[in-house]
Amino acid sequence: MITAANASLLLLARGAPRVIGQSLLAIFALAAVTLVCVHFQPDDPSLTAAALVYLVIVVLLSLNGSFTAAATVSIVAVILLQDLASPPLLSLSIYEPLDAVALVVFLTTALTITRLVSKMRGALDRLRVSLEDLRRAEEATRQQAALLDLTHDTVFVSDTQSRITFWNRGAQELYGWSAEEAVGQTTHQLLRTEFPAPLADITAALHEAGRWEGELIHARRDNSRVVVASRWSLQRDADARPVATLETNNDITAHKQAESALSQAQAELTRVARVTTLGELAASIAHEVNQPLTAIVADSNAALNWLAMEKPDLEIVRSTLIAIVQDSERAANVFTRIRAMLSRTVQPHQPCDLRGIIRETLPLVQAEFARHTIRMEVALAAELPLISGDAVQLQQVLLNLLINAAEASRDVAAERRVVIVRTEIQHREPQTQVGVQVRDSGVGVPEGNLHRVFEAFYTTKSGGLGMGLSVSKAIVERHGGRLWVTANTDYGATFHFCIPTKS
Amino acid sequence: MSSSQSVVRVVDDEESVRRSLSGLLESVGLRVRTYGSAQDFLAIDSPDTPGCLVLDLHLPGMSGLDLQRQLADSGRALPVIFLTGLADVPTAVHAMKGGAVEFLTKPLNAPALLDAVRHAIEKDREARAERRSLDELRRRYDSLTPREREVLQRVIAGRLSKQIAAEFGTSEATVKEQRAQVMQKMQAHSVIALTLSAKRLGL
Repeated sequence: MITAANASLLLLARGAPRVIGQSLLAIFALAAVTLVCVHFQPDDPSLTAAALVYLVIVVLLSLNGSFTAAATVSIVAVILLQDLASPPLLSLSIYEPLDAVALVVFLTTALTITRLVSKMRGALDRLRVSLEDLRRAEEATRQQAALLDLTHDTVFVSDTQSRITFWNRGAQELYGWSAEEAVGQTTHQLLRTEFPAPLADITAALHEAGRWEGELIHARRDNSRVVVASRWSLQRDADARPVATLETNNDITAHKQAESALSQAQAELTRVARVTTLGELAASIAHEVNQPLTAIVADSNAALNWLAMEKPDLEIVRSTLIAIVQDSERAANVFTRIRAMLSRTVQPHQPCDLRGIIRETLPLVQAEFARHTIRMEVALAAELPLISGDAVQLQQVLLNLLINAAEASRDVAAERRVVIVRTEIQHREPQTQVGVQVRDSGVGVPEGNLHRVFEAFYTTKSGGLGMGLSVSKAIVERHGGRLWVTANTDYGATFHFCIPTKS
Repeated sequence: MSSSQSVVRVVDDEESVRRSLSGLLESVGLRVRTYGSAQDFLAIDSPDTPGCLVLDLHLPGMSGLDLQRQLADSGRALPVIFLTGLADVPTAVHAMKGGAVEFLTKPLNAPALLDAVRHAIEKDREARAERRSLDELRRRYDSLTPREREVLQRVIAGRLSKQIAAEFGTSEATVKEQRAQVMQKMQAHSVIALTLSAKRLGL
């Protein structure tokens, strides 16, 4: 509107000399016609003929000139007609009422024509402006579409029936289908989309929020699969009815692969660290298995000897066999515990009770502690909120801390060989946390190395890899928790870890 | 059985091992006493009872090697059979140098253990007999007068009575009488037997 008004003003300003010129020309024409009329019939010039010719001039002027010029000329024509109708010439009085009617009719007609033509021209001008706007809008759209073609992201638009209406170059490059091939196809059929949730749910979410984000798996033209981070936006019309969906997809296949490789490497590292940790217990484990095996061998030989006697005492044989069964179960239990630690890989997080995990871990180190006459004091809270986690990995963390504590304690004075395991509940905003402390009075960690103990390959053990604590820290952090160490005021160090409870 | 008076001592910190080992040894007619720690053994066990010691190398508190050393130092010699779950060469060498009869690894080879135990008991019996005869010999030697000991020294050095008498400035008859006393007190029937006894006494 503003553009149109501005254009009209411009036209007026630019047209001012033209209006005057046209008016003069028309007045000159009127004068010529009048002269001709008077010339042929000096006494009674034909009013009708003159009026008609005047009208023609007014119409021509209206069509080609301005409203102002036409109006001016109309009024001049009326004056001339009135002059012609009432002789003598060049007098401005009206004598016959009929002439007056004719003049009024003429003026009305002339002005009506002028006004109509002017209106028509106004409409034409506005139409031209609209057309211009439309052309500009089209150009802008074309440029925007070209911009969409420049982006590396794939962009396409589908209508309410999921038929593709726009398909950018990024989409062509990613999927292998050209815009000509893709437009008109049903998106999810063309791309054989695998959704993370039922399509109905996704559509519902899209309609509710106007947008949706998620990961999709699409098939390319060559049947290869591609993982994309997909963002959908719903376009609505003036009545808020959905009309189209704009889908922007980012190829994250490589990212996903790297992510999966990373998590695999992490799992492998965790497992290797677990094996290494158990390896540190090898001597104790061998001892733990050898003891029952020794008893079994001795008992079975004894039983054979008893049976070989002339009058075997079957009661002794029976009790010996019972002892063999019990020792076999003991040896088997050692293996069951170790196998449980070794064979399981990454487990989905489940609700678990840290006290149970601690109780299952203690038997694994019992022999190691006994071997170095290290006392273990365990103070577990009467009740602990559950946490969400992988029990085997958390057991690994505990095992590591306990082995380190034993390692630090084995060469100090006998009365200092005590390791204390304690649990506690920490009520902290926004979440309650379950804390575990493993405290020793051993050789301790030098003040400057308190933070270094968690670095990979940092070790003080002759046969150590230096992976235990760094892997433990990673495990705790994967559980949303924290693992740290403090130096005790008297002797040794305390390792702490806390894990948020299951919300 | 000749070793019926001998007692096999088993020292192991684990009850099931003590129980099963004593069962095995008893099943072949041996007498057994068990101890849960080196300290218990030292406090309770009677050194005069013959037999042998089946000893776990890795005992909490005083280790098997420590016990072996202490027994040797205090003259309570008892043949030791070591049992261990972890046989590293330096420890084994150490144990054998300390006089161990056998070094066996867990889990057990029962016939090897029984052989070792029988061998150890025999060895202890011989050692005790040897010690007994040596004690007897020493007692005999202790009963000699200073002059008789001087005579003994010269007799085993191959001196004649005449030479000894000349050295002491006494009569040959006196020396002969003293020499007869020596032979009788030492219960030696010949100069050779006397020489052997003197050698055993480290003279």
